[in-house]
Amino acid sequence: MDLISRYLGAVRRNLPARGADDIVAELRDALASRIEDREEALGRPLDGAETEGLTKDFGHPLVVAARFRRHQWLIGPDVFPFYLSVARIVLLAVASVQLAIGLVQLLFGHRDPAELLMQTIGGLATGLIFCLALVTLVFAVLERTGFPAEHIAGWNPATLADVDEPQPGPWESAAETALALAFLLWWGGAFSLPYAPGSADFRIEPAPVFTQLYWPIFVLAAARLVHNLIQWLRPRWKLLRTLIGGATAIGGLVLLAIIYRAGQWATIVPTGMDLARAADLQTSLNLALRIAIVAIGVIWTFACLGALWKLSRARAAAAAPA
Amino acid sequence: MPTEDDLFDKLRIELRRGSLVLAVLAALREERYGYTLRTLLDDAGLPIEEGALYPLLRRLEAQGLLTSEWREEGRNKRFYRLSPDGEAILAQLQAEWEAIGASLGRLLK
Repeated sequence: MDLISRYLGAVRRNLPARGADDIVAELRDALASRIEDREEALGRPLDGAETEGLTKDFGHPLVVAARFRRHQWLIGPDVFPFYLSVARIVLLAVASVQLAIGLVQLLFGHRDPAELLMQTIGGLATGLIFCLALVTLVFAVLERTGFPAEHIAGWNPATLADVDEPQPGPWESAAETALALAFLLWWGGAFSLPYAPGSADFRIEPAPVFTQLYWPIFVLAAARLVHNLIQWLRPRWKLLRTLIGGATAIGGLVLLAIIYRAGQWATIVPTGMDLARAADLQTSLNLALRIAIVAIGVIWTFACLGALWKLSRARAAAAAPA
Repeated sequence: MPTEDDLFDKLRIELRRGSLVLAVLAALREERYGYTLRTLLDDAGLPIEEGALYPLLRRLEAQGLLTSEWREEGRNKRFYRLSPDGEAILAQLQAEWEAIGASLGRLLK
């Protein structure tokens, strides 16, 4: 009986404390009954190997104990589709932000590319594992609080997007939202990019126009974030989405025009660098920024015109007789 | 790569799993303890592992469909039987089972 006691001890260690004695007593009786039956059939007591085989047939202690637990899984089949969808979105958002930071550092950080690549890969791995663990934890809690039943019962088919209205995929929406959020947090000073712009012999300072336009840019970024969230999560809120989209497009172009008219967007402050070289560097940097501002302006203008065209087509289609 | 037999076994287990609750409730119209219940089901062609049976009995008891008590019968044994709620549910499930059987019977003709 030593083997049976050891087996039941192993089961007991994995049982919920409440009711463990009762369960073990019942399993002991079940095993004893099984042994008695076998012995009666054989007409002799079981030997060690036979008892071992019978115990093995009863099941692995972890499996036997786990079946007495209320929850048989971490995330069940009802919650899993939501978990998978959110995990994909969160992981993509994290990867987008990490890669964007890496790219900015590569372009402006004067860092060794190999070192930067290793740092970005490390940051990606840590960020992805942490976020996946966090999402899993949240959904494991939701699994135990009745979320799927409530969410599925509260789901309204009327909120689904129109078939003829092309919707960005969840990955695209997640990336846009994550980047908008990351920009907003960075602009608001919640975090700084992990590098010092410039190097040991100079530093880059933004032009005063950015300080003057701090709040307009903040409001514009916040409005854009709201627009992205509506597009992603509430595609049927077309009027609000169109209003915010139009306002942010026009506001963005106005701000861009004001920024462009400033004429200079970054200053090189030499901290050891030759003054003439610093002046050359500043000219090159401002030229690059001028090109970037013009390119952004052109892209935004086309996007704005495209949105207006789509809107006018949608209105015409709605007004047309059926 | 699963063979045709593996697939059949998997589908057969799924098919039988749904009927086990009904079988356990039906068998417990008479008071029994776990081992005799399992033997009865086995003899009736509905084998169930102990690892699945005992948690199922506890779940059905927690749902109010069974009652249980410990009694000395050679050894200490836990006897189960259908509660009044269990009898009502068994009647409903039996009707459902017969309806499914009739429907499938028509489909399989």
